[in-house]
Amino acid sequence: MAIIEECGDICRPKIGVYALTSCYGCQLKLATVQKIMEIVQAVEIESFYMISSASRMGSDVDVAFVEGSVSTEKDLEELKEIREHSRILVALGACAVNGGVQSWAEGDKDYKKLYAEVYGEGKITMQGRQATPVSDHVKVDYFLPGCPPEEDELMYFISAFLFGTFPEPKDYPVCAECRLAGNSCILIEKGEPCLGPVTTAGCKARCLSHNVPCIGCRGPVPHGTAWFDSLAKLFKEKGFDRDYIRDRMKIFGAHDENLEPMLDKIFGGSK
Amino acid sequence: MRYVKISKANTYKFLERLKAKGTLYAPTKISEKFYDFREVNDVKAVQFDYNRTIRPPRRFFYPARETMFTFDTTKVELYENVPEDETIILFGVHSCDIVGLRIVDSEFIDENPDPYYKKRRESGIIIGLSCLPDEYCFCNVRRVDFVDAGFDLFFHELPDGFLVRVGTVTGHKLIDPNMDIFGEITQEDVDYMTAFNEKRGEMFPIQGNWDDLRYFLELRRDHPMYARESEKCLGCGNCTLTCPTCRCYDVKDIPSIDGMTGERVRVWDSCQFRSHGLVAGPHNFRPTKESRFENRYMCKNAYNKDTTTAYCVGCGRCTYFCPADINFRKNLMEIGGYKEAV
Repeated sequence: MAIIEECGDICRPKIGVYALTSCYGCQLKLATVQKIMEIVQAVEIESFYMISSASRMGSDVDVAFVEGSVSTEKDLEELKEIREHSRILVALGACAVNGGVQSWAEGDKDYKKLYAEVYGEGKITMQGRQATPVSDHVKVDYFLPGCPPEEDELMYFISAFLFGTFPEPKDYPVCAECRLAGNSCILIEKGEPCLGPVTTAGCKARCLSHNVPCIGCRGPVPHGTAWFDSLAKLFKEKGFDRDYIRDRMKIFGAHDENLEPMLDKIFGGSK
Repeated sequence: MRYVKISKANTYKFLERLKAKGTLYAPTKISEKFYDFREVNDVKAVQFDYNRTIRPPRRFFYPARETMFTFDTTKVELYENVPEDETIILFGVHSCDIVGLRIVDSEFIDENPDPYYKKRRESGIIIGLSCLPDEYCFCNVRRVDFVDAGFDLFFHELPDGFLVRVGTVTGHKLIDPNMDIFGEITQEDVDYMTAFNEKRGEMFPIQGNWDDLRYFLELRRDHPMYARESEKCLGCGNCTLTCPTCRCYDVKDIPSIDGMTGERVRVWDSCQFRSHGLVAGPHNFRPTKESRFENRYMCKNAYNKDTTTAYCVGCGRCTYFCPADINFRKNLMEIGGYKEAV
């Protein structure tokens, strides 16, 4: 995966930043990092509509950063095209990594009914689909979660590719960073419905540092180490009901395959 | 050993004077129930009556994240990032935490001296403080409820002030120039200290000692407690990150945007994380939550052949700060077959 080795001193790696259905917040974050000028000098930007009108689809890139979830047929076509033209594909942000908040209805509502409810008889040219993470459709090499991703992680990813190495993913929860930040634990102390124990670290417990319980925007800890069952049991003991717990865990984790079975384990049967 | 006393009012004066000698950290109330060692600005905010801090004192000498060196691959050079000359003064350290620091020393100074840790630790000043146990404390059965080394000064509660044990030459140097606020002890003070320690001893939720615990843990590796309790575990790492004796770290290279330079950082790790046991392959020698859970029980109580005390000092943090209410002490008692005090 090393880029710099093949590139040597003569060429700069080609980067593409693409958006599927999303709020464009991830690329805004990338466009406004402090060292953006150093980034644009170190790489050749083939496509990044937010900062360059010379952007275009369909050109070969070394690294493609894709934000947004696959929510329309056009998204799917574009994603496949991006994959074909990139050596490394990075899923950028909560929507691309986990499907985002627009996946909340997953498993609960019939998609056609939902679509009709929202758009009615209005003439919509695009063909919608249930929102899904990028990895449901194409091979994803690296995942960079966050809503939006953190600046230090964006810099780490790009720097690692330039260096000819690869970014190491985080596989531990927000709790770890919350302890190191010196916060009190509002889950223990106030019984707040904090999702820190099942959410991927990297934000340095941003919300918790302002006494706001974690809502899980960075998505479930990967490799099946988000223990929804243990946390749901704890929330249940603190008096939260099944619907509340399930809804909260689904906001950013609707597509996690362990979520429903683990909730069933605590509450019995499937909903 | 030398003994002096100081009144509560003069203790504040002493703390004020300590601030001139280095960076002073002391227990501070950070929320309704929790305490943490924080830098002292207002000496009146120092808490003398607290049970445990959320972050362990080891963080001052072994930071949660530190850059060990920076490197430049074009010059094939590295530039060591030696800690600055700074005297770290910790006031209000309980006996369990003092032993905790000595356990960290056994790894970072006695074994293969770590220059970063060693420098901070050797210029640091530790001032102990007596305490009364709550239902989470069990330092007595770990035999660390009373320390005779590892501190420069140790403050024992008196009705109005403290009886101070002087532990080191550094301790003497802190007392000598301040004899205007310290005084000589009386028989009454010694009697108070005796009564205090007697009352304290009776307050622990369990009596006796756990010297044989290591063997029971080794003999009962398949105990059903592990499966039952690890089921509740969130794998969040709170138990290890608040532990005063955990020493595991991860080393990472963080490259810069120029593609040539970078830094090597050391960050606290936790055996409760999947990546802790992950090696090339990718093989994982602790692939399940249960195996990671069991490792902590074994490490804290049975992997201590070279030290005279267990790596667990009975401070109660891993239970008090466990969001899932997993009770380390009770689980160990189940394996050791120990009974609660009546």
